[in-house]
Amino acid sequence: MKKADISTAIFLLLVCGYVFYEAGSWPRLPDLGDPAWIPRGVAACLLVASLILLVRALRGRALMLPSRLEGKDRSRVLWVAAITMGYVVGMNYLGFIASTVPYLTGFGIALGERRWMRLVLFALVVPLTIYLVFEATLKVPLPRGLVR
Amino acid sequence: MVDLNLLLQGFGTVLYGYNLIALVLGSFFGIIIGAIPGLTATMGIALLVPFTFGMTPITGIVMLLGIYTGAIYGGGIASILIKTPGTPAAAATVFDGYPMAQKGQAGKAIGIATISSGVGGTFTAICLAFFAPILAKFALRFSAPEYFALACFGLSVTITLSGRSPVKGFISGALGLLISMVGLDPMGGFQRFTFGFPELTGGLSFVPMLIGLFALSEGFRQVEVVLTAPRVSAILKNIIPTAKDLKQCVPAYIRACFIGLIVGITPAIGADTAAFLSYAETKRASKHPEKFGTGVPEGVAAAQCGENASTGGDVLPMITLGIPGDAATAVLMGALTIHNLQPGPMLFLNHPEVVHQIFSGMIAANVIFVILGLLFARFFAQVINIDRKYLVPLIFICCLVGSYAINNVMYDLVTCAVFGFIGYMMLRYDFPVAPMVLAQILGGMMESNFRRSLAMSQGDIMIFLTRPITVVILVLAAFTTIMAIRRQRQALKMEEALGRQKADSR
Repeated sequence: MKKADISTAIFLLLVCGYVFYEAGSWPRLPDLGDPAWIPRGVAACLLVASLILLVRALRGRALMLPSRLEGKDRSRVLWVAAITMGYVVGMNYLGFIASTVPYLTGFGIALGERRWMRLVLFALVVPLTIYLVFEATLKVPLPRGLVR
Repeated sequence: MVDLNLLLQGFGTVLYGYNLIALVLGSFFGIIIGAIPGLTATMGIALLVPFTFGMTPITGIVMLLGIYTGAIYGGGIASILIKTPGTPAAAATVFDGYPMAQKGQAGKAIGIATISSGVGGTFTAICLAFFAPILAKFALRFSAPEYFALACFGLSVTITLSGRSPVKGFISGALGLLISMVGLDPMGGFQRFTFGFPELTGGLSFVPMLIGLFALSEGFRQVEVVLTAPRVSAILKNIIPTAKDLKQCVPAYIRACFIGLIVGITPAIGADTAAFLSYAETKRASKHPEKFGTGVPEGVAAAQCGENASTGGDVLPMITLGIPGDAATAVLMGALTIHNLQPGPMLFLNHPEVVHQIFSGMIAANVIFVILGLLFARFFAQVINIDRKYLVPLIFICCLVGSYAINNVMYDLVTCAVFGFIGYMMLRYDFPVAPMVLAQILGGMMESNFRRSLAMSQGDIMIFLTRPITVVILVLAAFTTIMAIRRQRQALKMEEALGRQKADSR
């Protein structure tokens, strides 16, 4: 947790610096006050909190994590994050159904499902059901892509 | 005071046609979400908000109220059957619920839990209907300085949602405030923090961000534990409690209803505190306190009643002042806003019929989940055994598709996915997510009313210290913050002391 707290604190200090810098470039409006007050005030408070976090971490007083993520659990989470981002990008080009079927298949494999018939059925039924619920019932269009 | 005619008309509206179907479906799904450990009421509401878009405002709102109340109740089912609370609020139900299940009384425990939740929730929903108009009428006197102070008070609540570290909670809240400033300046109209992206001109999409932070992030957490989820093996018999069982729980109901109401109205304390306090008081007042923890019905009754009794109180500040009291009401508030209903005193003035429909919906939701809970107890018990390898991907799909469905733009999908991962990383490294969302809601209110106040006073900051209501609210905000920090420091010290004890005893 110490490394995470230090990295987070440094990142937040950079964010504070950016906020101070950008807020200074905003136009001041007559009779409406300085628009930089609130953002700079928040950034100042964030700066103090980040410094407290950094100092505590450097002094070894960072809180212990409730649990560590290691080995297969970690790989599983990273794999799911990667295929989710791929799904988000892919849906734009392939459309909802064509991207969701392989996504659900990959997701199921990542979670250790090896009953292939069940997995394939799940990967086909779910997107079709969601498509029917949104398009036919709620009249909310979903991305089309290749399947029209 | 409550307009009884409007309230009765409200019942006529919510208990008819699509509204009734939405209410029943909402309660049904809410119980399922609550029953599955790891899925929270907040997550359930966030997940199902997009499904309400195609509905009329009141249909959508009653569905979400059904989810909210049903999920809070549903958490007790897992507490009783597998000693794992379905929602954090149901932790106190474990003390006597699980021992009852071990004695072969799982059905009786669930029956008592169901009715107890209904009693508590209905009581405070009725109180909400009576007190909310009074508070809203008082709030009509508020101007920009008072609303600024209210926003500060609401932000002080975020410190209490900080979990183990007030500093991390504060950081989460401050980031939420900065996120609320992305987009156009509310008074000057120039761009702020957009980095040249035209999509950010309108700010970050709130609902996709909400779904990502509350629902998708929990989905990632479920991916961690998918292979180790506990299973239910209990057989449920004699679910409907006898009159004798219920009669012995009446003193517990009376205590829990009032404790839950007061806790719910008080910002910074939620359903879990209401449940624990109700349980502790009932045990203290019992003639046989030594029996608590061995499987006594009053223990289950007190915890569940107190838990659901806090829901009415939690909704009160949200609907009257536009200040969410906790994460779940923050999401409810977001949902109301999407349906063009801005919570606050003006809602009572401009849409009194809608307000009374919400009151009726809240009362009806508490009755409906009791009926569903008793009728389908065995089904809900089996829901806990749903294979997580299918449930978790379904959660992800609902989150992502739901986010897209709001405005039909890919940008919202990306927002949900990105904030889902950010939310997960925040949870992993002990940064609470709720303060970020609450601050995002209140940040705009705080900033615009601060600047309006200064415009009113020609730049004189003393305007915040010369108006009595503003001063009182700001003092309350400071008091809440200090008390919350003290409470968390004490809790941390106890945690450290327990840790040292355990280390010494090895």
